Formats: sequence, structure tokens, C-alpha cells
Amino acid sequence: MSGASSVIDLSLGQLGLALLLVGVVVLVSLRQGLGLERDLLVGSVRTIVQLYLVGLILAAVFSAARWYLVVLVVAVMTAVATQAAVSRLAKPIPGGHQIAALALTVSTAVTLAYVIGVVVRVRPWYEPQYVIPIAGMILGNAMTSAALAGDRLQGDLRSRAPEVETMLALGFSGREAVQPLVRAALRAAMIPTVNGMMTVGVVQLPGMMTGQILAGSSPLVAIGYQIMVMFMLAAGTAMASLLFVRLAAGRYLTAAHQLRRYLL
Amino acid sequence: MSDPIVAVEHLTLAYPGDRGRPAVSVLTDVSLNMARGGALTLVGPSGSGKSTLLRCLNRLEEPTAGTVRFDGRDVRSLDPRELRRRAALVMQTPVLFEGTVRDNLWLRPAGTPGDFSEARLSEVLIEVGLEPLFLDRDAATLSGGEKQRVTIARALLRDPQALLLDEPTSALDPPNAALVVETISRAREARRLSIVAVTHQPELVRHLGGSLLFLVRGRVEAYERLDGGASAIGDARLQAFLAGESPRAVPAKP
Repeated sequence: MSGASSVIDLSLGQLGLALLLVGVVVLVSLRQGLGLERDLLVGSVRTIVQLYLVGLILAAVFSAARWYLVVLVVAVMTAVATQAAVSRLAKPIPGGHQIAALALTVSTAVTLAYVIGVVVRVRPWYEPQYVIPIAGMILGNAMTSAALAGDRLQGDLRSRAPEVETMLALGFSGREAVQPLVRAALRAAMIPTVNGMMTVGVVQLPGMMTGQILAGSSPLVAIGYQIMVMFMLAAGTAMASLLFVRLAAGRYLTAAHQLRRYLL
Repeated sequence: MSDPIVAVEHLTLAYPGDRGRPAVSVLTDVSLNMARGGALTLVGPSGSGKSTLLRCLNRLEEPTAGTVRFDGRDVRSLDPRELRRRAALVMQTPVLFEGTVRDNLWLRPAGTPGDFSEARLSEVLIEVGLEPLFLDRDAATLSGGEKQRVTIARALLRDPQALLLDEPTSALDPPNAALVVETISRAREARRLSIVAVTHQPELVRHLGGSLLFLVRGRVEAYERLDGGASAIGDARLQAFLAGESPRAVPAKP
């Protein structure tokens, strides 16, 4: 990137100064009896350790620039995102892990392939500088939307079971009977993304754009990427939540159009 | 019974245990049968499996073992959607969807046979004791009793052979409950409907006649015909129930 030389490299001393900000929060927590000191300390240590580790790994992957290392990193990210997506559910969905893995893998792979291969046209396609951050953004959003959709579906199945069973008793198929709930879950999952598209740049500058500007890119280059990112996230989250909710709803139904109430 | 509409043989149902815990037994070795046009009432304390048994009849629940026959056929050999049209379920709390009463009566899967014309809708509303004017009413504005009668109308529109009633009156106040009981009895006579009901209301049982099945913890504890009137009932708990005592208060056999 042309302006990269203008970036100020943060020294350890400077990071130490940044840590003072957390120190202030610790003081506030002590004064107000929030009981957050321990979590703040652990959180600060984790922030430092995790990010340094990731930085070291990424630096190695970037310099090696091997396609299989890039694929491996994305696979690990997908596995962690899968775990995070299902761990937030109130009650485990039977087979929820496989469903989430499938939904996140397919949505990320399809969106990533399109963005890397068709939109940005990265050469070679596995260029880690592009693939890893873009995959991370898609996965992060896909994970959140799948978790939101799953959570909403579960809650609705519990509270609206009589509605579903009334539909079944009227002769509708299982799929037809849960369709209103699937729709509500998808809407709930998509709302943050759609709201984000409405207010992007006006309420807050997105992380990626901020990062690019800090790294010395012209704001006009940065917005180009940001626009692509917004569209990409819309597609990724829609695909992830649709796959997740459809498959998850299927787990609560039987081939004989019954609602497996004991799972709720 | 030569040609029963509903026949259940050695039905057992257990739900798989949650996360490695043992299975939860709901129904154990239940057998019953009911003649075409007959009536059967399921009574028993809460949690005895009455509703689950009823829901096995239209296959909303899947037995672990045993068979359920409807109109001579194993329900597993029927399309569940077709079975549920022929054995229409009316639930304890009436569920009506957004829209007018007409929208709710119309609600059906594509390809459902039957007459859903305006005239027919009015006719069925009258049958359940509601004015045809109700067609344009917003379903959300109906009283509990009116809602329940609309769900009965919705079931009747599909010309079912049997009505499965899951405590159809227990969410209603006594006058509305009486109206629903009357509606059910009238529809039954006019259409020669077979009726299986879960109820705590002796009034409904007296109207229906037929047989009485007493379930405790998923097992049949008593199963008697009502033809001879209440005095012919041998089981003390069933007598007490018919006399108006809540079956919830009746202790199970030790």
C-alpha cells in the first residue's frame, strides 16, 4: 500500500501507556464495587497474549504464503466460530454443531470465493493479506447471525408450539407449519446487518475502513473496500442464517410432520 | 367390536432421556377401541398421559411400541396430513391466526378437498352457534368461548370422521363451556361423528356417553362403558369423577 510508510509503529512502551486506560477502569470498578477487576485483568492479559499469538502466526503465514496454510487458518477460524455460534444457545439443538459447521463453511466459502475470485480478483487467490481478514469478517458476522437466528427459532418454537401444532393438526406439512417461525428468526438475524447498511459511515466508521485509513490508505480507497464488505456481509449473514435455521428447524420435525416437543 | 373407527393396541410411548438420562415413560401398554360414531372420554390426573394418548390418534405423537388404527388402517400407513383432516384435533387453548374469522376458516394446505364457499362457511358458523356476521370479525377480538367455537367450525369444515378434543372447555368460564359442550353434542348427532375427548368436565361426559378410560401414570386403571348410566359404573374413582369431583384429587391405586 502506498502510504504504509507513514504508519507509526507502536512500541511496547506505548502499549503500556494504553494499558493505563484499563487501569483507570480498574480503579472505577474498585470504587464503585463493580467486582470487575479480576475480569478486566484476565481480559487484558488475554487480549495481549491472544493478539500476539495471532500476530506471530499470521506473520508466519503471510511470509510463507502457501495456499494450504491459508486454508488451514481459515478452517481453524471456522471451527472456533462454529463452537461460539452453538455455545450461546439456551438448549443445545440436536446435531447443532454439525449444522453450524455446515452453515458457516458453506456461507463463508461461497461468499469468500466470489469476493476473492470475482470482485477483488486477488492473484494468487490465496494471498493471505486479503483472504484471512475477509474470511474473518464474513465468519464473525455469519457466526453472530446464525446464533441470533438459532436463538430466536428455539425461543419461538417453545412459545409458539401450540401454533405450530395447530397448523400440523390442520394438515399442513412440518415445513409449512414452522415457516412463520423460520421467517421471524431470519428477520431477527438479518436486522443488525441491514441496520448496519443504513447507518454505516454516518453513526460510526467501520473497523476495516478505520484500519485502512490508519494504515495510510486514502479514505476513497477505504470506502471502496468498505462498500464491498457491507454487501459481502449481507450475503454471508443471510446465507449462514438461512442454512442454519432451515436445518435446525428440520431437527425439531419428523418425517411424519410431528413437532418433537420433548426437545424444546 | 366389529368395525372400530379407532383401535389402539399395546401402545407404549417414552421420550428419549435428556443428555444421557433414562427415557421418560409417558404411556405404557394402553389398549382401547371405539365404535364408529362412538364416544370415548379420557380422564385422569394431570400428567397421566391423556393428551399424549389423544395426540397419538392423529399421529402428532409417535408411539415407541404398539399400534394405532384409524378407520381400519395402521396410522403409519396413512399420510399424516390426510389422517389429521379425518381426525380433527381441537386443543385446550384455541389458536386462531392473524386475520378475520373467514381467514381462519379458510386456512388449509393447498389441495385440501371440501367446500370452502361463503355459504358453507356461514352454515358451519351457524352449526357452532355463531352468526355468519362473525366471518368478518377480527379473530383477535373474539372471546375465549367464541374462539373455541371457531376452531370447532374450522375442524368441522373439513368433514372429519372423528373429533379429538383436548380439554376443549377447561379454558372457558361455565356459561361458555356449556355452549361448547352443546355445540359438540349437536355436531356429533348431526354428523354421526366419533369423539375422543380429554376432559375434566363431567357435563361433557354425560352428553357424550360412550366409554370412560381412566389413566394414571400412563397406564389404564379403569375402562368402562357408560351405557347403563352412572350407577352402572363399577370403579369408585370413575363414579366420583362423574359425580363432579376433580379426578386430580382422586388418589391412584397403591
